[in-house]
Amino acid sequence: MSVFQKTGPLSVLHAFIDASRWRVSPENDAPARTGMISLYVLETGGCEGCAMEVESLCGSAFALERYGFRRVADPADADWLLVTGAMSRACVQMLDRVWKAMPPGKSLVAVGACAIDGGLFGAGYATLGGLKALTQVRKTIPGCPPSAQDILSGMQRLAGR
Amino acid sequence: MSEMGRIIRGGERVALSHYSLDAEQWEAMLAAPGATLSLLSCWADEHRVYVLLLEGDCPLIASTTMEERRYLAPSSRFPAAEWGERVAYDLWGVEAMSASGDGQPALDEGVWEATWPLSSRPGPGGQAARPVAGRTVLPAEKSGLTGPLELSFDVVRGKVQGVSVNAGLAHRGVLHRMIGLTPEESLPLVSRMTAGGFVAHPLAFCRAVAQARGLQPGPGVRDCWMILLEIERMSVHLFDMARTARSVDAGLLATHCEHAREAIASACAEQGISRRLTDLVRCDGFRVGLEIVPLAQAVVSAMQPRMAQLRELQSVFAPRLKGLAVLSPAQAREFAVGGLVGRASGRSLDVRRREAGMRLDALRSTGSSEGDGAARDALRLTEIRDSLALIQRILGSIGMDDDEPAPEATQEGIGVAEGARGDIWYWVRLRNGKIDAVQARDPSVSLLSVLPAVLQGETPERLPAALRSLALSPSGVAM
Repeated sequence: MSVFQKTGPLSVLHAFIDASRWRVSPENDAPARTGMISLYVLETGGCEGCAMEVESLCGSAFALERYGFRRVADPADADWLLVTGAMSRACVQMLDRVWKAMPPGKSLVAVGACAIDGGLFGAGYATLGGLKALTQVRKTIPGCPPSAQDILSGMQRLAGR
Repeated sequence: MSEMGRIIRGGERVALSHYSLDAEQWEAMLAAPGATLSLLSCWADEHRVYVLLLEGDCPLIASTTMEERRYLAPSSRFPAAEWGERVAYDLWGVEAMSASGDGQPALDEGVWEATWPLSSRPGPGGQAARPVAGRTVLPAEKSGLTGPLELSFDVVRGKVQGVSVNAGLAHRGVLHRMIGLTPEESLPLVSRMTAGGFVAHPLAFCRAVAQARGLQPGPGVRDCWMILLEIERMSVHLFDMARTARSVDAGLLATHCEHAREAIASACAEQGISRRLTDLVRCDGFRVGLEIVPLAQAVVSAMQPRMAQLRELQSVFAPRLKGLAVLSPAQAREFAVGGLVGRASGRSLDVRRREAGMRLDALRSTGSSEGDGAARDALRLTEIRDSLALIQRILGSIGMDDDEPAPEATQEGIGVAEGARGDIWYWVRLRNGKIDAVQARDPSVSLLSVLPAVLQGETPERLPAALRSLALSPSGVAM
């Protein structure tokens, strides 16, 4: 345990060593990588709980790329659009803009109860009630919010892995 | 007592801290000589306008009736009231006279089904506003925040100027949905107000409900709530530190923050509760089956060994956040910015210090007056240290009685909780056991008013890092 408490000139080196030791999903549990799927994440007006879980999944605590997924910063590079949030009417333009920027062969994935059907917030003067109000959504990951591990498992299921 | 406070107390007392003023008293309050009380929130419905103020560390509500759907604007005295006035216009169509702002829509960008949707006379929906030509836009999906928030600005010599904020994209009408429900029925909605406050929002709400009902939570419930709040504070601070670190290429610090946050989540899951503490707080206490002592011990065990390394890494990467999104002490004071951001800018407001049963000796962080990203990050880590100390202090005397008397039941109450991102306030009015009126104030709202000044002079490339450092939550702003 003493190695974790070292401070001083070697602390950054220790931090490098410890970073892999504390990973939540050990890399050796991950299946061999097959075709990489690129993800673009979009929050459309929820509590941000699902968006924060996706952030966790894309961070260092999970070996996302070992499972065949990677996050991209530009929708033009994305295969899947991961949508979180209750789909506010004011966010429709944003969704449309991002969707059109994605290349052909793209897929829409609703992450969390709100993105699927509005969840607790439902439909109202300011919300549409999830993606189902706009289009048929075949790829869904339920939960309120789903954990990062749930999202990863859901994506593996949707990818047929 | 300030002159403004004296004028307010000259009105008719309708609840524990709520005074109803007539038009003359309202005008006198806005023109009161001497110090201006800190404004926490301003809101209105079709019949009344309200301001929630802070006098010392005590809340004070003043309200007055509308006259022909108009009222004298609180923003003529309190600049931060401007957001609430614009929200009131968008939802109810009530007008603030002599308002200080530009009158731009707060929530309604012309895409709703109806104009003034909550009004008794709603109009047809409008047309989506077009962006002003020639201005640079940071679209919502590129803001760097976890929720949608759009900025538009001019770029002069490579620097940002004249920032406008479109913060209404995440509006869901949550408060309106709560009307007519019992407090218990509305808790799931409150618990999903914003993910940075899965504990803090329902806690503030339940405290308001308890006050309205004339109840005082027992010391066991009080201490359980405090522990849950501190666990959430550590988790959210780690999230905000990680996100900020990523935006300045401090990946190693981000990595350790992310691992520490996952360790907290795993400790919660191993105790049989949700990883992010959702749906644990209830009006009468907490979820049945929650074992708070082993949970607290597990979280402390998960976090304590990581602190020295986190502190080292934070100090190594701190220079990258120096001078980022500076909120001056004067701005923090003028716009009543509380929470961690306020404390990193010289304000001392921490509502935990006024809570009955608080172990004050554990709260040792002294804040800063630097007001930049580095000061905020350093304070986040110091507050995590304090949270660990506070949890251990509570465990040492859990359920300690302090004989706090129950308030008088007036069917109206104010509740507050010091969430990770700042002080969260709820005001509720009950009628026949159901919610007749409700207002919530998330700390991000006070940041919104001062955001243009804080971002002025940054380069466009640094805006996502600046927004992440401020930890602004669009879902908390728009609700």
